[in-house]
Amino acid sequence: MSLLEAKNLTHVFPEGTVAIKDISLKINSGEFVIIAGANGSGKTVFIRHLNGLLVPTKGEVLINGKPIKKNITLARRKIGLIFQDSDSQIVGQTVAEDVAFGPENLNLPIAEVEKAVRESLEIVGISDLSTKSPHTLSGGQKKKLAVAGVLAMNPNIIIFDEPLAGLDYPGVVQVLRQLDELHKAGNTIILVTHELEKTLAHADRLVIFHKGELVEDGKPEDVIYCSEKYGVRMPLRNGGEIGSMTWLR
Amino acid sequence: MDGRIKLLCMVLLSLSASFASEWQHYLTLLSLVFIALIITKLPIIALLKDMKFFAIIILIVLFTNAFNVPGDPIPGFPIERVSMQGVITGLRFAGRLITIIMVCTVVTGTTSLLTFKNVIEWYLRPVPFIPEVRIATMISLTFALIPVIFDSYTEIMNAQKSRCIELRKNPIKRVNFIVFPLLGQILRRADEIVYAMESRCYSEVRTRALFKINKLDWFILAICATSLLFVVA
Repeated sequence: MSLLEAKNLTHVFPEGTVAIKDISLKINSGEFVIIAGANGSGKTVFIRHLNGLLVPTKGEVLINGKPIKKNITLARRKIGLIFQDSDSQIVGQTVAEDVAFGPENLNLPIAEVEKAVRESLEIVGISDLSTKSPHTLSGGQKKKLAVAGVLAMNPNIIIFDEPLAGLDYPGVVQVLRQLDELHKAGNTIILVTHELEKTLAHADRLVIFHKGELVEDGKPEDVIYCSEKYGVRMPLRNGGEIGSMTWLR
Repeated sequence: MDGRIKLLCMVLLSLSASFASEWQHYLTLLSLVFIALIITKLPIIALLKDMKFFAIIILIVLFTNAFNVPGDPIPGFPIERVSMQGVITGLRFAGRLITIIMVCTVVTGTTSLLTFKNVIEWYLRPVPFIPEVRIATMISLTFALIPVIFDSYTEIMNAQKSRCIELRKNPIKRVNFIVFPLLGQILRRADEIVYAMESRCYSEVRTRALFKINKLDWFILAICATSLLFVVA
C-alpha cells in the first residue's frame, strides 16, 4: 500500500478553468519525488490537494489507504507543506514562536511544544536565531524556518513548493542540503520545481505535469529526455549525467 | 514579571495619571516611571528623544487650554487671552499625557508581542461571546504583517518611481497607482497566509500560555494600586 495516493484528481475553479485533470499518483514511503512542469501546469494546485487545502472537484487523496477528508487534521499533520513564498508562511513574531504555531494548534502540552520547537530548530540549524524576528532572516534562513515549522509537527511526508525560487547560490545550497538530510533521515520528499539541473540527482522519481495533466512518471533517466516538449528545460547537456544534476557538489 | 500583572499595572498607572491634578501626584507617578526605567535598563535618553514625536500633541494641548480656559490674565505676559488657569490646566493635561506615554513606553519596551497576545487572550477568556483566540491571532498576524506590508509598499513605490510616476500631475491617479497594487498584494498575501495556517492545522483549541505570578509581581501591583488610591483620595 502506498503512503500517499491521489486518485483521479480533478479540480475545476468556479470560473470554469480546469486546473488539474484526472491525476493519479502513488507516493511510496521514503521516496524523493520531483514534480516538474511549466508555469500554470497545475503543480501547486495538485500539491494543495494532498493535505486537504483544496477540495477536488472529482477524485480523492488517500494517506495509508484512508481518505484524508475523514481526518483532515491528521493529514495536515502527516503531510507538511512548505510554500513557495516563505514570507506567507511566517505567522510568528519570533522564529521560535513561528515554529511553535503548528504544535500549539495541535493543542500539545506546553512542554511538548517547547521540545518540538527546540528539536526542529536544531535539525535545520537555526537554534541561535530563535529569538530573532523572522523578517530579518535571509531567504535561505526563511526557508529553513518554514521547514522547522513543518518538522515541529512530525510529518511523514514533506512537500516543497518551488523552494529554490529566488534564492542565491548559498541559499540554494542551504535548502538542497536540508532536503538531502531530511530524505536521508527517512522522510518522504515531494519537491515541486522546474530547476532540474539543481535537484535531479537527489530524486528517485520524476513526474511531469503539462496543462493540468500528469504526462510523465518514472525514473529520472527515463523521463528526463522528453521534458523539453512539456516546457521544462532538459538539463543534460554535453554528455552530462543525472548524478551531476545538483548544486551540492 | 508576569504579563498580566504588567498590563494591569499599566492600566492602574494610566488611570492614576488621568486623575492626577496636584504636583505631588505627578511627582509620585513620574518617580515610579523613572524607577521602572532604571530597573528595566531601558535606554532613557533614547526614549526621551523619542518623546519629541509627541511634543507637538503636548504643545497643542498646552496652547489650546492656555487660550481657551477663562481666568485671570498672567501679569506682565504680552498676550492677554492667555489665562493663568488655562496655563495650569494645560500643564496638568500635558503632565497626564507625558505620564501615560512614559508608562506605556516602559510596558511595551519590556514586553514581547507574544506576551501581549497571550495576556489579551487571557483577559478576554471570561468575556462571553468574544472569540479570544481569534482576536489574539488577529493581533499577532497584524504585527507579523506590518513589516511585509511596508516592504511591499516600498517595492511598489520604487517600481512606480522607476517608471516616472512623479511626472503624473494628478495626485489622485498617483495614489491610485500605489494603493490598488498594494491592496491587491495584501489580499493575495492574506489568502496565502490562510492556506499556510490551514496547512499547519490552525485551530482555536490550542495550547495555552502558562503564566506565573511571584511575590514581586504582587508587590509591584500593590504599589500601582496604592498610587491610584493616593491620586483619587
